Amino acid sequence: MNIRQVNANGQAIIPSLELTMEKGKVLGIQTNVQRKKILLAQLAEREDVYLSFAEQGEYTRLTVEELLHFLKSLSGHSQPVHSMLQLFQLGDYQKVRIANLPASKKIYLSLLRVYYAQQPIIVLEEPYFQLEEPDQLAFARLLEELAEEKQILILTANLEDALISCDEVYRLDEAGLHLLDITDADDEAEAAHEIGEAEFKIQKIPTKKNDKTILFNPPEIDYIESMNSTAVVHVAGETYTCALTLAELEERLLHYGFFRCHRSYIVNLQKVRELITWTKNSYSLRLTTGKDSVVPLSRTKLAELKALLNI
Amino acid sequence: MNVSLKRIQAIFIKDYKEFSRNYAVSIMILFPIAFALLYRTEAGDQAAIYAFIMNFSLAMLTSFVQACLIAEEKERNTLRSLMMTPASMLDVLIGKSALVFLISAAVLAFSTYLFGYESSNVMLLAAALGISILLYTAIGTICGLYSKTLLEASLSVFPVLIIFTAGPFALVFEDQYPFLEVLRYLPSSQLSELLVEMEAGAAAGELTKPLVVISLWAVVLTVVSFVLYKRRLMDQ
Repeated sequence: MNIRQVNANGQAIIPSLELTMEKGKVLGIQTNVQRKKILLAQLAEREDVYLSFAEQGEYTRLTVEELLHFLKSLSGHSQPVHSMLQLFQLGDYQKVRIANLPASKKIYLSLLRVYYAQQPIIVLEEPYFQLEEPDQLAFARLLEELAEEKQILILTANLEDALISCDEVYRLDEAGLHLLDITDADDEAEAAHEIGEAEFKIQKIPTKKNDKTILFNPPEIDYIESMNSTAVVHVAGETYTCALTLAELEERLLHYGFFRCHRSYIVNLQKVRELITWTKNSYSLRLTTGKDSVVPLSRTKLAELKALLNI
Repeated sequence: MNVSLKRIQAIFIKDYKEFSRNYAVSIMILFPIAFALLYRTEAGDQAAIYAFIMNFSLAMLTSFVQACLIAEEKERNTLRSLMMTPASMLDVLIGKSALVFLISAAVLAFSTYLFGYESSNVMLLAAALGISILLYTAIGTICGLYSKTLLEASLSVFPVLIIFTAGPFALVFEDQYPFLEVLRYLPSSQLSELLVEMEAGAAAGELTKPLVVISLWAVVLTVVSFVLYKRRLMDQ
């Protein structure tokens, strides 16, 4: 599915996009309201798209059953109404006029119009925004079922809403679509279990200053240097001495993103801002903490660092 | 544009239920009946009064209901959803118009009975009223298309009521203001003329002219309403 570029005031709001949709997968696009409206306007021109708008109203004087009858005979849908009522879990509301339904059920009901759509592609605008949680779950389940035979796209300004039922979520900005890296809660739990042992080992770096022992969390440390065979820990411009050797520190801090950049230096890579090339064989690392904090980088370690940072 | 009887029927039934449960709109069927009872007379100008009741009822019932049915669909954004179903625009329009036609025909027939009007030529009377109903339905469609909400639709019917129903009465001033002559060609004036002449016992040949004028109005307005309907819905 192609989306044309849209400009406003000479700036691209939406670049031209190519969206691949497939059955069995619910896609979500999270973007701001302006881009959502532009997308909807472009999708409305297509014959093969059924759009479900957020402000969709309903024939409030009909009962739920009458509405489903109406939609059935209008669309030529084959399923009998009573089985649809069961599928939609609306059996209790069968004879209730739509005007008298709870607000969330009313929205849920107008969302169900997508079930009667003939088009192969279904686009929903903010389906979950005004639904209560049980209705959100019920509708997410129905969408999953519907996705077996239709291509479904959800447009929303709210990422949480997209996460309810989308298998893939993209963020749309002026640069284009960005796939968000989402793992299900189950996968995360497994991963957490695997690295659990390392996580639970408490890693504090003991240092001394004026005869006091101070414990630092590794992320606080900017870099460590070796001075007269004692390790000096630099934290926010202050120095503290440490009884451990650099080799021991390197081993302890490996998992925290530290790197032995020089025979007598260990640097916290999270705090490195710039790689300075003095000459062909002389390099330094500038840290984010200040102008003066520059750590030498030995030539032999450069290749290792580049591999580590993927540069 | 394909037309399906099944879909027209579905829209007809749906609109009938909505109409009968929306008392703000369905109360309009009481007007012609109340007027018929109120103005019952044995006096000589029976035909003129009867023509006034018919003209008033056509604007107040036929145009009003049709305008409200269309405007309400627009107000609730259900029309846009209907456009994405296999139902064509023509299905929707025919379904609604058929309902309005049947309601109007039944109510007008009933109020004619209550009023006690006896026509010398029932076939001609039925034809004139039938064509008038089509014409006022088309006006109602146009009113509905130009209003966004139910409230706007009910107000938009008033200009129609004033021009079409009050038009024949302004003919009294025709001597002073010769341009009022044009009002003679309003469908309501023609209907009135037709009924009066029929009562006076005019020959069938003399009666064709009003009928032709009313039919012309009906054809032109129906075509205009179809074209507008198509164009206005595309814009949405």
